[in-house]
Amino acid sequence: MSVSGELIAFFGVALVAILGGVLLITLTKVVHMVIALVFTFLSIAGIYLLLSAEFVAIVQILIYSGAITIVMLFGIMLTKHRENDEPSKGGWRKFSLLLAIAGFAVAVYLGIYDLDIPVQPTALHEENTKQIGIELFSKYVIPFEVMSVLLLVALVGAIVLAKKDNEEGDRS
Amino acid sequence: MIKDLLHSAPSLLNFGVYFGLAVLLLLAVLGFVTYGILSERKIMGFMQLRIGPNQIGGKWGLLQTVADVLKLLIKEDTIPKKADRPLYILAPVIAFAPAFMVLATLPFTDAFQFADIGVGLLYYVAISGISTIGIVTAGWASNNKYSLIGGMRAAAQMISYEIPLVMSLVGIVLLTGSLNLNDIVAAQEKVWFIFLQPIAFIVFMIASVAELNRIPFDLPEAESELVAGYHVEYSGFRWAFFMLSEYVYMFAMATLTTVLFLGGWNSIPFLDFIPGAIWFGLKFSAVFYILVWIRVTFPRIRADQLMEFGWKVLLPVALANIFLTAIIKEIVSLF
Repeated sequence: MSVSGELIAFFGVALVAILGGVLLITLTKVVHMVIALVFTFLSIAGIYLLLSAEFVAIVQILIYSGAITIVMLFGIMLTKHRENDEPSKGGWRKFSLLLAIAGFAVAVYLGIYDLDIPVQPTALHEENTKQIGIELFSKYVIPFEVMSVLLLVALVGAIVLAKKDNEEGDRS
Repeated sequence: MIKDLLHSAPSLLNFGVYFGLAVLLLLAVLGFVTYGILSERKIMGFMQLRIGPNQIGGKWGLLQTVADVLKLLIKEDTIPKKADRPLYILAPVIAFAPAFMVLATLPFTDAFQFADIGVGLLYYVAISGISTIGIVTAGWASNNKYSLIGGMRAAAQMISYEIPLVMSLVGIVLLTGSLNLNDIVAAQEKVWFIFLQPIAFIVFMIASVAELNRIPFDLPEAESELVAGYHVEYSGFRWAFFMLSEYVYMFAMATLTTVLFLGGWNSIPFLDFIPGAIWFGLKFSAVFYILVWIRVTFPRIRADQLMEFGWKVLLPVALANIFLTAIIKEIVSLF
């Protein structure tokens, strides 16, 4: 494997993604965790971009880093919560955790090392926005419509919940 | 030239050239911000029957902004004791970096543009959303109730106005059949989209002013109620970064409006001997002037009106525009 620009970019992006994930677990303040999460989301978008799935990458940024993170920040900032989570204690627990992590690492390594994905040339990377659109509205129309109905139900449900709260607030 | 560069083999020299060009663009944008602020203050003065800056740098106050920036540079950089230190330092960076990143895909003329990606239009919208996180973070990290309210308002406003902004552009995408900004400009060679999509243009202008946090919609930094909103606690150059990102976004938004609705560097008929760069500059300046004009003319609206206007007026109008565009496109293609 030779060192190419793509490889360097991949390592940079992957490093940020993993760092974001680790920080998400280790940081103690909730808002810091969300910011770490944003970095993970952004670098995952970078990985999509390296795989030349530009539409998916941009939508990842638009939906996850933009909208969902802000909703999460809203939720965190406007609700009461303990500022700092206490670190868990207990030697046995830590040891068994270490064992489990090591076992998982070995399993994943063995699983991935000999994995052989047959590569076949595709044209998926050309104009993939157009291709996604065509697939979505020809092959997958029914799932797409069902999804939209599901989202509509969620929207109506949210409105109903919010409405109820408001009326009770007015009465009291 | 840039296209050859993008398709050439990667080497350190190419990297250097590209890096140099990016620095050049940054300097050009900083120059624009410097004189954009000055011209904004001059226009505002003219509209409010004042004189505006006229002391430093001759009769027109040409060095006023330079002096202001110098003052900000040498100002003491304060960090409140109770602030969340790492986030307080990180927030201006998160707010500014996307502002410069969005410039990468904007085509200024057919020769002067950096990246030409297939989803350029979505790229702008997606990346500019990241700035909101910076603003919310700043509001939270300052540990000040006014800045927190400002940050919350910024987030709520940007989410609600991003939707009509994107929806108003769907009409253009329907007519062009592409999300690529170059294709969109090419589609306007005969008729500009402002004439084909007048409703979309109005919705887009309103939503873009809201996205820029400028005056009728400047609730995140409403100085009469929130002191200065999310950047109350910031001073010196960190504060300058927020202002800078706001004006770089203004630059980007004026460029985007020109590219999407005013035909980019295309000329009007019979005047195509004038180079595209000048056409672009003229249209860009007109959009910039309109943005300043809006700022001087309108009073600030209330927070509840803001939300109601965004969700109950702009969004349905934008959706109706999509519907209308699709129907008309189908009817036209029948003949």
